[in-house]
Amino acid sequence: MNKELEHQFVTNLEKNQNIAHKICRIYTNDQESHNDLFQEITIQLWKAYPKFRGDSKFSTWMYRVALNTAITLYRKKKKSIRTQDYDSVHFKIKSEAYDDTAEQHLKLMYDAIKQLNDIDKALVFLYLEDKNYAEISETLGITEVNARVKMNRVKTKLQNIINP
Amino acid sequence: MDNLDLLKKDWKKQEKSIPQLSYDEIYKLIWKRSSSIVKWIFFISIIEFALGAVLNIFIADDEYWAKMEEYNLTIFLICTYVVSYIITFYFIYKFYTNYKAINATDSASVLMKTILKVRKTVKYYIGFILISSAFVFVFSMIFILRNHVLTAEPVASNMSFDWKQWLLFIGGTLLALAVILGVIWLIYTLVYGILLRRLHRNYKELKKLEM
Repeated sequence: MNKELEHQFVTNLEKNQNIAHKICRIYTNDQESHNDLFQEITIQLWKAYPKFRGDSKFSTWMYRVALNTAITLYRKKKKSIRTQDYDSVHFKIKSEAYDDTAEQHLKLMYDAIKQLNDIDKALVFLYLEDKNYAEISETLGITEVNARVKMNRVKTKLQNIINP
Repeated sequence: MDNLDLLKKDWKKQEKSIPQLSYDEIYKLIWKRSSSIVKWIFFISIIEFALGAVLNIFIADDEYWAKMEEYNLTIFLICTYVVSYIITFYFIYKFYTNYKAINATDSASVLMKTILKVRKTVKYYIGFILISSAFVFVFSMIFILRNHVLTAEPVASNMSFDWKQWLLFIGGTLLALAVILGVIWLIYTLVYGILLRRLHRNYKELKKLEM
């Protein structure tokens, strides 16, 4: 019985592992913490799996649990990550502000996202994943109106970081 | 906002270059947590052993051995060193095999058994440390006392203890022993206890899944 459950879970996760990898990309800065977060997400998913009844899609459920894991983990480490990010991003903005190629611009955007807080990162992530507001509100457990308001604020925040 | 939409395009493009884990690699991740705790138990036991060995080298200089010779403790000490090193090596070996076993495990029930085994080994290890400390303490006291009785010159007639003084002396010794053992026990439960508690939590989670 347990073996069966394990097999089911691992097969599902293997198919949907991109979700976890992409969350790791938003929330971590280097390969090592990427792997750590990926492992933590796997463990949390596995722990929660018996409660997953299949009344939603595996991927929908996975977005929720994985994002929660990233947010919780990120909160614990908030201080150290924040200061580090802040310095490096500011330095980059100053030195690269004149080079306005498309690639540089994308890099600036990614760096700016790294500066956001845990919830805002989740919002941006879901936006990039092409989720609509109904899906975003369901995944994060907030109302749709709230999701819209928050998303608009995040856009302004990003704008302010890039063009201070 | 065109900025974010530009990013969205890039985000989708990068989706193809995401590294993929195989079925087996994901499978292993589920069990990793217990394995890293057991790895730490193994490492800490080695660090602890190395620390003890280094401390011994620093403490046990010629002067120390001369003093021990005076108390007739040399042979006793060498024997306890040898025995305790053998037993410590045995435990380090045990911790190592536990670590290897937990790494190779691929089913919940075997993992649960290994976790129980690890907990038992650590408990035995702490028990061994406590008993050996008590043993060394009591025997050192006996040797020192005997040496004292043999070499002391009876200066006054009231040198010998009456029963009240004996009671006080033994009580004091036992109290000192209890305090020393208490401190050792506290240190070990702190160091290993945290790891054991985490391991126990994993065990309970596994058990829930098993049902």
